[in-house]
Amino acid sequence: MTWLIWRQHRAEVCVLGLLVGMFGIALLVLGTQAHDLFPGGPARCAGEAGINEGCAASFRRLDEDFGFVENLLAAFYLVPVVIGAFLGAPLLARELEDGTWQLAWTQAMPRMRWLAAKLAALAGVTVMLTALFSAVLTWFRQPFDAWEGRFQYDAFDLEGLVPVAYALFAFGVATVAGAILRRSLPAFGVAFGAFLAARMSVALLARPAYATPLTTMEPVPVGGSTDQAGNGTVPSFADWTIEHGYADATGRKLSGTEYYELEGAANQAGTNFNQFLHARGVQQFEVYHPADRFWTFQLMEAALFVAVAVVLIGVVVWRVRRRIV
Amino acid sequence: MTETEFALRTEGVGKRYRKGWALRDCTLTLPAGGVIALVGPNGAGKTTLLRLVVGLLAPSTGTVEVLGHDVTASTPHTLSRVGFLAQDHPLYKRFTVAEMLRFGRACNLRFDQGLAERRLAKLGIPLDRRTGSLSGGQQAQVALALALAKRPDLLVLDEPVASLDPLARHEFLQVLMGAVAEGGVTVLFSSHLVHELERVCDHLIVLNHGRVTLTGDIDTLLAEHRLLVGPRTATDLDRAGAVVEAVHSDRHTTLLVRDGALPTAPGWQAHPVALEDLVLAYLRRPSEPSATVPSGAAA
Repeated sequence: MTWLIWRQHRAEVCVLGLLVGMFGIALLVLGTQAHDLFPGGPARCAGEAGINEGCAASFRRLDEDFGFVENLLAAFYLVPVVIGAFLGAPLLARELEDGTWQLAWTQAMPRMRWLAAKLAALAGVTVMLTALFSAVLTWFRQPFDAWEGRFQYDAFDLEGLVPVAYALFAFGVATVAGAILRRSLPAFGVAFGAFLAARMSVALLARPAYATPLTTMEPVPVGGSTDQAGNGTVPSFADWTIEHGYADATGRKLSGTEYYELEGAANQAGTNFNQFLHARGVQQFEVYHPADRFWTFQLMEAALFVAVAVVLIGVVVWRVRRRIV
Repeated sequence: MTETEFALRTEGVGKRYRKGWALRDCTLTLPAGGVIALVGPNGAGKTTLLRLVVGLLAPSTGTVEVLGHDVTASTPHTLSRVGFLAQDHPLYKRFTVAEMLRFGRACNLRFDQGLAERRLAKLGIPLDRRTGSLSGGQQAQVALALALAKRPDLLVLDEPVASLDPLARHEFLQVLMGAVAEGGVTVLFSSHLVHELERVCDHLIVLNHGRVTLTGDIDTLLAEHRLLVGPRTATDLDRAGAVVEAVHSDRHTTLLVRDGALPTAPGWQAHPVALEDLVLAYLRRPSEPSATVPSGAAA
């Protein structure tokens, strides 16, 4: 059976392996150079330490020399769906397309054993390739993370556990779609669409709600916005800010129009805006998730996508078991 | 050869797809040994019935028993005793012939690689060619060699020669019948070519509109049916339900009757019926709920 699975899927596995290998080597080469900018390791410059002169210089060089690479990383959002859907779509669809399911399931190997072996092998390859890919990327991004935190979309979505979960989700969708549509290419398309829709809605709607965000609320300082730096209670750059703005003395959030009305009133009165706000008891607020929630959020999002993947695989197993395909 | 005398037994088998019933009330008992032909027009439910027999589909109603075992259980033991050649003889197109044989060896409890290699060598099919690059006839032969190498007790073939040219068709049937002669394999195959059946088949099943309209041993069926030709008459002739079909010309009436060769009424002449005409007469009959034709007397 191992031989059969390899023989049937070696083309996909080789292409994907080559792809991940090429990206991996490129990132390792560039990443080594980027890491070399930080003599004590990038972690040393994270947080408050990033302000010191040596780290600031390192970050400047990082931005100048490797900023472009970081911008290119956005293209890697699609790597998990390419891996998962490329391996999942043909699993059943190709057999149904070519009629060879009638050949495969009339040999002495019962179809459930056949399906279990295929699912295990191809989901295994999906996990392995994506894990390799995200491990290299997580390492590559260490200097950037020290600078920007890990909650940005181009960090959180590419690092740690979630890429593997995304890939398994894509694998599940592609396999189910292949079983229902009986065609590999449309199944791949469906997986692509479902991946984009699920990823976007989860990242924008579900992810901020994994835990209750923290809120800071404090009066507007008299000296103006530059005073904020160094204030310990204000969230740091590594935290994930969901919302920020102004609130009145009772803590009610001010709308945009109310803010501009206040600004107009301050201009008419000819006073400094910050002093004007301070005198009225206006407060600044910020809603955020602290940086140390990174792994909790990773686990929750990974669990969400893996759970959906398990349900989808369950549908495939059910269909094959009931001989619907 | 087998511990049961029946190769296949179905009891009230039906299969419903989303668009409706493809097969209804199919009750069959087929003896082991010999060649069984399943005939019917396109869309009659032949493929559905064969897929049910090999366990590719599960019946919506009824039971399918192959070689004494419930086929839906799909145990390796049952699967290994049934060979199946699907319509258009699917193969992994990017595999070489040798890789197809390796596939058979990997997925079966018993697989006679030597037998398959000998058959292919005799036909001059090279093992290192990709199956996708072989001719249709050669692909069919590879698929057949693969199915026969399992040394099945029941070999099921779905329209095995439909897509082949006359020469390839002849060669294919020759190899198939050679295999039947060699060992005690029961062959069940579907076809819509009726005229070739008489030569190769022992048993017949006629399927129309998802129902079995005729089944039996071919020699017995031919002995039971006769064509009666007499003066044209418009009266109801089907006194005992024995008339399968009545055809009226200007002066004569021709009746196909299933009466077990009873004496002919005065003024009527009896003729034997050809298998093809018999099958066509049953296919022309409007579908009706009763699957069996009463073999009552008409004198």
